[in-house]
Amino acid sequence: MKCMRTLLLARELSVGRCTVLMKDLSKSDLLPLQKGVCLQNSRLVSVRSIHISTCLGTTTAPKDNPDNSKESTNRSLVTVEELFERTSVDAKNRASFQQAVNIFSQRDIRRRGHVEFIYAALKKMPEFGVEKDIDVYNKILDVFPKEVFVPHNFIQRMFNHYPRQQECAIEVLEQMENYGVMPNKETKLLLLQIFGNKSHPMRKYQRLMYWFPKFKHINPYPVPDLLPRDPVDLARLSLQRIAADLDARVTVYQLSHVEITDSGKSIDHPHIVGIQSPDQQSLLAHHNVDRPVFVEGPFRLWLKKTCVYYYVLRAELLPPEERKEEIIDPERNFYYPMHLDIDLERDMWDDLEFDIDEVEEGPVFAMCMAGAGDQATLAKWIVGLQETNPILRQIPVVFRLTPGPRELQSSIDSDDNREEEMSQAQRLK
Amino acid sequence: MPLLRKVLDNVYFLKKWHCQNGLFSLFRPLVGCNLKWHSNYKRPGTPPDKTPPWKKIHFSFQKGIEGIKTHFGKLSKEIVDHVKGPEGRPLLDYMLSQTTVIWEFRSEEDLKNWVISSDAEIGGKSEVNLKLGKNNQSAVLFGTLNTTVPRDGETRYSGYCSMRSKPRLVAFDRKNPYDWSNFNILHLRVRGDGRPWMINIYTDPYFSHQKDDLYSYFMFTRGGPYWEEIKIPFSKFFFSSRGRIQDHQHELWLDKISTLGFTVGDKVDGPFQLEIDYIGLIKDRAHTEECAYELYDRNPKK
Repeated sequence: MKCMRTLLLARELSVGRCTVLMKDLSKSDLLPLQKGVCLQNSRLVSVRSIHISTCLGTTTAPKDNPDNSKESTNRSLVTVEELFERTSVDAKNRASFQQAVNIFSQRDIRRRGHVEFIYAALKKMPEFGVEKDIDVYNKILDVFPKEVFVPHNFIQRMFNHYPRQQECAIEVLEQMENYGVMPNKETKLLLLQIFGNKSHPMRKYQRLMYWFPKFKHINPYPVPDLLPRDPVDLARLSLQRIAADLDARVTVYQLSHVEITDSGKSIDHPHIVGIQSPDQQSLLAHHNVDRPVFVEGPFRLWLKKTCVYYYVLRAELLPPEERKEEIIDPERNFYYPMHLDIDLERDMWDDLEFDIDEVEEGPVFAMCMAGAGDQATLAKWIVGLQETNPILRQIPVVFRLTPGPRELQSSIDSDDNREEEMSQAQRLK
Repeated sequence: MPLLRKVLDNVYFLKKWHCQNGLFSLFRPLVGCNLKWHSNYKRPGTPPDKTPPWKKIHFSFQKGIEGIKTHFGKLSKEIVDHVKGPEGRPLLDYMLSQTTVIWEFRSEEDLKNWVISSDAEIGGKSEVNLKLGKNNQSAVLFGTLNTTVPRDGETRYSGYCSMRSKPRLVAFDRKNPYDWSNFNILHLRVRGDGRPWMINIYTDPYFSHQKDDLYSYFMFTRGGPYWEEIKIPFSKFFFSSRGRIQDHQHELWLDKISTLGFTVGDKVDGPFQLEIDYIGLIKDRAHTEECAYELYDRNPKK
């Protein structure tokens, strides 16, 4: 009803009988209308611009808000952002963001300045922590007046109808795309209502709906959105990821705790989580006792936005004269052959070998992640490894740690500090 | 897909190639003309370059003589290769090859075939470096990604680093794009640190409006101390132009491949690293897909 009243009022005003009506109207109701009249200097346009959504019903006629008159006099551009500042005095969260959007929607029936408001809202979204919330995006799209921007005839359809508004809506969708938010049915309904069927925002929506599902699951090593909070769980997850072996067993060598000694001094014991696969164990068991093994690291691993560091126990590559092929005794297993050397009739097409010398590197024996990267902590890991790998008691272990994180590659041992490293080698017993 | 947009502007550095197959290339050895190799991107706010074109020519007799030597050397090699067969290999060998290595990284010479770039070109703060790895066995691409947007009022996204091969040139700097139509799978042996990368393939444009076209797909690295072999069918590559995925997808035509590039731009600030052993191609007869992206009617009749 109220809407109808305003509609009638607008018509009256445009005809020019405003003097009569002026008196029996509250000022707050009239202000937006007056603006409308002076901007649209035409008799008919005012009728067009008051379409109201019936679908979501968030569009309501302007209420008699005590602040309203104050706000409408303030014409500076900053007002839009000020709205967010005002609602977020206590806390910047989803509720205060939605409240700001609600206040804007209820302020003016024509939603004057909604494009500026939407741009400001998009900018404020990460601040309020709602940048991945599809409902909030729909709420923002709902700010657009409905059915006004839908082209009605072929000429409007041919030319870019209301380009600023369409660009603005595309901007909303693009931000959704950037944060990986998949639009839903409601988004589609809103876009249909606001811009019509073949508009640019609708096309953008269709593109999103085409490409998002296609690329949703292409990562062969998926990382969960919410990583575990517990560092031990996180370490387990990342170690299993880099080990690339389902047989590999994760061992928690130490949980983080604080030990208070008798003298009242507290010692921090960081967590140590290691991983080793049976293959790595047997590799280590066959390692030459005279050659040292190295603890290297920390190396970086990215899990989406989180960076974790791991350490590697490895050996140098054997010089070619020491490498020997292990010959398996054919009688070692009577039930099935341990080694097959059948010259299968391989077709020319089956040969998928590359004609290249592959990169050869020393074997990796185990990996670990620890709460602290100092030598004492990692020595505890080696002690823990000795239980399952008794040979490690005879092999000298050299710690080649860098103070900061480093690349896998920079483990090139420059020969000049080699002696120094060897001197700090620990023969752990 | 969101990676795509902000990332790709760096890779259009070959816009000046149109003039080069004309008569000009014959004078190239004598006239050391510094072509703008990397990009014709102009940062907002910078004044236009008003140096007259003749001042950009640095005539040097010494350089000219060297140029003539190298280019005629290349020419004779080209002729010999042409006589031998396609790509300098016997025809049968060429046609029956199942795999081939396109790029490997075993010496500094191999690194010279690659160009690295980062958003420092557009005013960003990322850094990227390329060097040879341990024992000269691989290439290491490392650096820091920084998504701080340059404050020039126009740029909206920032934060990418990339590495891209140079197009193959034969004598007198004529371009000679790769013909990979015998193969259908890209094979890479890499070791990363868990970050996703994008692989961009640039085909040699026939019309000038195709010069910004790019075919891309994603490469996910596992991280960790092990090497991994990644196979990407060419049918998976999607078509984009000027950083926007196009509605009309078509298969990647492999007969004129100009360059291949790697880009990181996952919006995460911090260091990154990628080691590449080699980049090769495989012919897999079991893979018959041509284009992985189906098309729909733009205005369906219902």
